[in-house]
Amino acid sequence: MNTEKHGFKAALFRHETVLLFVVVLEWFYFNSVGPRFGSVDNSFDIMRHSVEIGLLALAMTPIILTGGIDLSVGSLLGLCAILFGKFWRDVGMPIPLAAACTIGVGALAGGLNASLITWLRLPPLIVTLGTFSLFRGLAEAITRGVDTFTNFPASFLFLGQERWLGIPAQAPAFIVVAIGIWLLVHRTTFGRSFRAIGFAPEGTRYAGIPVERRLALVYVLAGMIAAIAAVIYTARLGQAKADAGMGYELFAITAVVLGGTSIFGGVGTVQGTLLGVAAIAILNNGLVHARQPREVAGMLTGVLLILALASSILPKILATWRARRQTSLNKTPVTT
Amino acid sequence: MTAPLLQLRAVTKSFGALRALKGVSFDLQAGEVHALLGENGAGKSTLIKVITGAHQPDGGTLEINGERVAHLTPASAHKLGIACIYQQPALFPDLTVAENIGLRLEPASAVRKVNWAVRQTRATELLKRIGAEISPDAEVRSLSMPEQQLVEIGCAIGAGARIVIMDEPTASLTQKEVQLLFEVVKDLRASGVGVIYISHRLEEIFALADRVTVLRDGESVGTNQVSAMNETSLIKLMVGREVSHIYPPAEGEPGEVVLEVNKLSCVAGDVKDVSLAVRGGEILGLAGLVGAGRTELARVLFGITPADSGEIILNGQRVTIRSPQEAVAHGIAYVPEDRRRHGVILEMPIAHNMTMAIHRRIFSGAWLRFGAEKQLALDFIRDLGVKACGPDAPGGSLSGGNQQKVSLARWLATKPKLLILDEPTQGVDVGAKSEIHKIIRQLAKEGLAVLMISSDLPEVLGMSDRIVVMRGGTITATLPGKSDAPTVMAAALGQTEAVK
Amino acid sequence: MKRHFRELSVAAALLLVLLALAVLAPAFYQPQPLLSLLTREAPTLVVACGMALVIICRQIDISVGSQFAVCSVAAGLLAANGWPLPLVSLASVVFGLIMGAFNGWLVAGLRLPSIVVTLATMVTWREALRWLRQGQFVNLPDGTQWLGLSQLAGQCMLIVTAVVLLVALALATKHLAAGRFVYAVGTDAEAARLAGIRPQLTTFSVFAFMGALVGLAAMMNVVQSPQVDPKSGSGLELKVIAAAVVGGVAVSGGRGKLWGVFVGLLLLACISPALTHLRIEAYWEKAIQGAIILLAVVADGVRNRKETV
Repeated sequence: MNTEKHGFKAALFRHETVLLFVVVLEWFYFNSVGPRFGSVDNSFDIMRHSVEIGLLALAMTPIILTGGIDLSVGSLLGLCAILFGKFWRDVGMPIPLAAACTIGVGALAGGLNASLITWLRLPPLIVTLGTFSLFRGLAEAITRGVDTFTNFPASFLFLGQERWLGIPAQAPAFIVVAIGIWLLVHRTTFGRSFRAIGFAPEGTRYAGIPVERRLALVYVLAGMIAAIAAVIYTARLGQAKADAGMGYELFAITAVVLGGTSIFGGVGTVQGTLLGVAAIAILNNGLVHARQPREVAGMLTGVLLILALASSILPKILATWRARRQTSLNKTPVTT
Repeated sequence: MTAPLLQLRAVTKSFGALRALKGVSFDLQAGEVHALLGENGAGKSTLIKVITGAHQPDGGTLEINGERVAHLTPASAHKLGIACIYQQPALFPDLTVAENIGLRLEPASAVRKVNWAVRQTRATELLKRIGAEISPDAEVRSLSMPEQQLVEIGCAIGAGARIVIMDEPTASLTQKEVQLLFEVVKDLRASGVGVIYISHRLEEIFALADRVTVLRDGESVGTNQVSAMNETSLIKLMVGREVSHIYPPAEGEPGEVVLEVNKLSCVAGDVKDVSLAVRGGEILGLAGLVGAGRTELARVLFGITPADSGEIILNGQRVTIRSPQEAVAHGIAYVPEDRRRHGVILEMPIAHNMTMAIHRRIFSGAWLRFGAEKQLALDFIRDLGVKACGPDAPGGSLSGGNQQKVSLARWLATKPKLLILDEPTQGVDVGAKSEIHKIIRQLAKEGLAVLMISSDLPEVLGMSDRIVVMRGGTITATLPGKSDAPTVMAAALGQTEAVK
Repeated sequence: MKRHFRELSVAAALLLVLLALAVLAPAFYQPQPLLSLLTREAPTLVVACGMALVIICRQIDISVGSQFAVCSVAAGLLAANGWPLPLVSLASVVFGLIMGAFNGWLVAGLRLPSIVVTLATMVTWREALRWLRQGQFVNLPDGTQWLGLSQLAGQCMLIVTAVVLLVALALATKHLAAGRFVYAVGTDAEAARLAGIRPQLTTFSVFAFMGALVGLAAMMNVVQSPQVDPKSGSGLELKVIAAAVVGGVAVSGGRGKLWGVFVGLLLLACISPALTHLRIEAYWEKAIQGAIILLAVVADGVRNRKETV
């Protein structure tokens, strides 16, 4: 009797523990291979580089929990970075106001995704593929392909490049968002409804939960978080260009799937996503220290994604094999 | 004497603890229309699935043209000339009629040229043979349901089927289309095909069938010549049974009217002009056959398909219900028919399922409170007698009866004023069934207004204080709870003369 | 007529754009730039045909751009090593086929969602290529460009090849059973299985075929310049998906005509020069492309909504 309870929890535990194990392994491996890897300086570097992807992965987690996907977050990061620069430099807003307006734009962009997906019941895949192109295109158009925003005040660059109370300055923002998303997914009724929608969208509607409103929430939230990531990105690099965040959606999705969130929805944890981000960030950084070209990082991420997907499907495939063998050896009817 | 096209002897089939067929013998002669009659759950669809090879019988034999067939699969059944026309045609909506027929009838090899001319002529021929005025170039998506059924029949004829099963073929046909179908069936009979005709429309059985077999509770209670029967005798065969199950008795008087529905209609939901009333403390049984519109009515009341016209009055107040949230806010609860898809989320723990509808009430400020949730779950598990490993066990680990209790718990937690139950004991074992009945009666005693949709006639008769019968999306009769089975069935079949 | 409404409306839009160009920017119709445009788009048409089949089968493949780059560079390297051109073409097709088959195995065999699978393979192939080439161009030997013929002859040959392929595929999807299976599986894989079709095999084949077409298209692109740019194919996936979606292929599967895709591609191809002539800067192109995808999908969504209600 109790095995059932343990079985359910044990399954969840198993994935994150394995991932934690993998992360620790990675750390030790790269430590041995690259001399400067384990230093405090480098660890903070890892943290800095992983904040933006981490934010996008956090934004992606609720969306994938509902069984959807958002391919436009990387492009939106680029668009928001540009607009942030424009608000500050051309409109003349003070940095905090520019940041706030950028977050507003992020929310609107997320709202565009949300309305197409919920009102018109269009598949998230094609909608976010379209906005993936549209947002990046707008970023390129606004900057005429060449414009860059630089010369940000030092007080702003502090956010991306300096330390605050001993840790990288962007870390608090990340921690706040991480805690917020964790609470949302694991401690609120919203998070509960995300999972329900991922498992059974119709069934959730029958339970009286406003499915469309919940879906709209996750996409708008993703837009806002992408905007925050854009501001931090700009602070870290000291400049805002149209190609900001290019390719980040792959890393975000990989982190989420690695972390144990099922691409089909319903199953997943925020801590898993964070571990997934850590795994990828350490991998990327470690490879640099091991003097591997950065393309290897990209390749490995792709391979990692496929392996993570395959491993989650494996139990299902085994179950179908077994069931099919059962019916061909058939004398026991399968209960309908 | 030639061997019958189809002969089943003492066929048994069980699904776990549920005995769907308890030794049914059935035969089909060439050139006959043999009607199959029975209530919902009598075993008709299981029998059909055995004949088409979708299910393997546990016991008994199956003979086709006098030859024993040991192991029938859908593919081999197709080859042996067995075809079944279901109510939901399995056609490809975006392809044309000619293509659909072609895909069905052509061999499945990929590397061959598609001969559109042949497809066209074949389709035109088949459609003409069944007298259907459908263009072979029409996209199936643009056809009405009856037209799609005709295409299916065309496929069956084209495949040279000798045994054709029709499952409620006239459910959505107009009078004219029904006549058309009759001609097709008569043609089939004349050409030596055996037709198994399942229908609840007694007038069709009398018009078309040569013999009729009545199934009841998984057994055949008689095969007779249609000419030797009349409606009353048929209905008696369908419902006459020993009453073995004891239902909890009604206690106390019903109170005020909780729900009043006036002339409610919903075009998209197939509900026409429904008026009824349910009082607090009373169980109103909603009887009828599958497709009568009862679940559709429930969905209108619950806001899934909002009403187009008519009134819904709750506790004296006129309300509009446009969504399930609004329904819940007004105190209406709906325990759905499809337990596994709509009632319980199988992957989530019992406790989460139970609190799914009361987030605002139990979790203030949207914060989950696991302690309160667990306590609620434990209370319901105790009160409803849910057999589970604990509140964390996933819904999918429970038996059907216990899943139903969880579904019920979810809605009882909302403390509703009106509880709509849709087939509350369908697929539930005897023990749990009894428990659920006691629970429902107790709820009524506590003042809840209960609208119980059920296709289980003894359940309707045993539990209801009053009975409303639906057919074709509208109400055909309102009967006292003490009515007898033939009366209710007659009303469900639309035989209003037989209603006393 | 009604059945082709979607494709005809796109054709009407194309006619409008062409008319507008004739009036506002007649320079568009000069033979040399027009020929160049068509030649440049010929490989894209080939890939678009493949993508249409993939989407009709209710899948998607965003790795075609990377596959294109890999095949282009591989072909270029083989040509630079002295391989005869016909063999190089064959090799390019085979490389594409292998990459496509890999996608197909993951999607059809392991039942993984195609968007994530092709996202992964897209990045993997692209990064692997970048690692190996480090952005270096491949210099092609003499006689490779335009297959050793004159530019005019070469251009015509490429355009004809693309059109012939289009016609052949359009005929195959209509008259070859395998072609019809793609539509059946994309509409309802379960119903297809019950009708005796094998959905997994069909899906796998569609991806493999897509890869082969990409290989062919890559070769068609390679012979257009004296060098191979390892960045070729960048943005190809969006372009062909846009062409398909605009041309009436439904993302929900089971619907779409190849000639609609052809018209869609022409429409999108005219936009860039139209922008130039209207003095709108080229950097608006990506945004417009994204907007067009959204508009096409929204239009279909609205129409479906009306149909079901």
